[in-house]
Amino acid sequence: MKSLTLERVSFWYPATEAPALRDVSLAVAHGEIVALVGAVGAGASTALLVAGDLAPRLTGGRLAGTVARRDRSAIVLPTPWTQLSGMAFTVWDEVAFGPANLGWPTHEIARQVDRAVEQLELGPLAARNPATLSGGELQRVIIAATLAMDAGLLLLDEPSAELDAEGARTVWRLIRALAKEGKAILLATSALDALPDVADRVVWLEDGAVRAAGTPDLLGEVAACDAGLGTSVATLWGASGLPGPYPLTVDHAVRLWR
Amino acid sequence: MIPALRFDAVTFSYGAGAVLRGLSFSITAGERVALLGKNGAGKSTVVRLIAGLERPAEGTVWVGDWNTRDCAPEQLAWRVGSVFQHADQQLFARTLREDVSFGPRALGVGAREVERRTDQALADLDLTAHAGHHPYDLPPALRKLAALAGALALEPALLVLDEPTIGLDRALRARLTRALLDRSLGSVALLVITHDLTFAAETLERGLVLDRGSLACDEPLAGLLGDVSRLEPLGLLPPPVAALSVALDLPGRPVRAADAARVLARVARGRPGP
Repeated sequence: MKSLTLERVSFWYPATEAPALRDVSLAVAHGEIVALVGAVGAGASTALLVAGDLAPRLTGGRLAGTVARRDRSAIVLPTPWTQLSGMAFTVWDEVAFGPANLGWPTHEIARQVDRAVEQLELGPLAARNPATLSGGELQRVIIAATLAMDAGLLLLDEPSAELDAEGARTVWRLIRALAKEGKAILLATSALDALPDVADRVVWLEDGAVRAAGTPDLLGEVAACDAGLGTSVATLWGASGLPGPYPLTVDHAVRLWR
Repeated sequence: MIPALRFDAVTFSYGAGAVLRGLSFSITAGERVALLGKNGAGKSTVVRLIAGLERPAEGTVWVGDWNTRDCAPEQLAWRVGSVFQHADQQLFARTLREDVSFGPRALGVGAREVERRTDQALADLDLTAHAGHHPYDLPPALRKLAALAGALALEPALLVLDEPTIGLDRALRARLTRALLDRSLGSVALLVITHDLTFAAETLERGLVLDRGSLACDEPLAGLLGDVSRLEPLGLLPPPVAALSVALDLPGRPVRAADAARVLARVARGRPGP
């Protein structure tokens, strides 16, 4: 069942003539991970704002087309420090801020927060003041705060950007696990190398429009590599003049080579 | 020659527990150095110490022959250009040009020289077409490059960048690499904090790895980046190109994409497949 459907959606930010999204149609089902990829300015972040009902509701601007949501959504912005509530003096309380505002009973808030803190491996930081955290630590806190709201549709904008290798691995693994639980996940990322193991589908946005959509194999196609959207291995394979199809990952390349 | 930057047994804490413990290293003019390590290893604190926003509890940070303990941040700006982690949020002027030129103007540089430096910095990062735009009309990635242009316009002896590639696509990363290599040829010393080991491989040559506030590693990146057994305990993973070089046993174990593509093509020509 689809959790989110965008049908021929166009969106204009206030005081702009060119649309940031042009006629975009896409859907995300429960249990599915859809990754938006594209160059800077292609519209991936805007698509997430529209999906999360933040644009045009909070940004202003104008929307055309239809957006259908079956679930409550929660969003992780690419600027995690702007998402702190400013009302909490510990990481645990920060993660509890969203659930508390949903009006849940205390024991349910505690259950969801404890779970999210554990999922993001934040236990050792639970009593820290969020203001003293590093960028990567903060990003994990915001992801936990989003998960604690138990939304059916998760919107994640560059969820691994601030994370070290270990943190990124934890987050990608968690995203897969959440999809397995039945969450619908729409994410935007420039971490293209992670996608073959994470995404079910990839939507390539260019200049606000969908240029192509398909499995992550898309990231091994010549056109994607030429547009700077191939995985590192696929791009390298293409640059060395080897014939396609290009392998997406090191493991895939090794199999092909042998 | 006096190094552009020298940490001499620096210890620092924000309260409970030391963030940096007896950290020592130095960087000379023209060197391109990556500062690597897990989240919370103390990397961003290093930037704050160099910029003079924090003072070491013990030990000394030297910028050239200046002890940062004796210098205000605005004085250090004569020698250090810093770009902080969330630099896209630090622009404040009404146009990009005005923002980029703020640094040299604040240093009291003459008007003509300010103009030259601003033009150069904008051109180095292909931002000239955006010079008249309001910074917040641009995507965060371009604002980040604009903050870097502001640091370049200071024409510092030392450039310190904290996670400069977050939010940048591949084309903008390549643009950043090119600008940094150009400046390094002009003998600017570079210290770049990054989790992006692909960018580090393409742009930088020496790797310092911080582990719980101490220096765990100081060596050429080319060797380090393919060595899983040494990277993993430090919370790092080889970038895909380095990992592929190792997995296919490519001669010379190249870590840069262009080098690896050349070697891969050569090796492929000499074998029946793939």
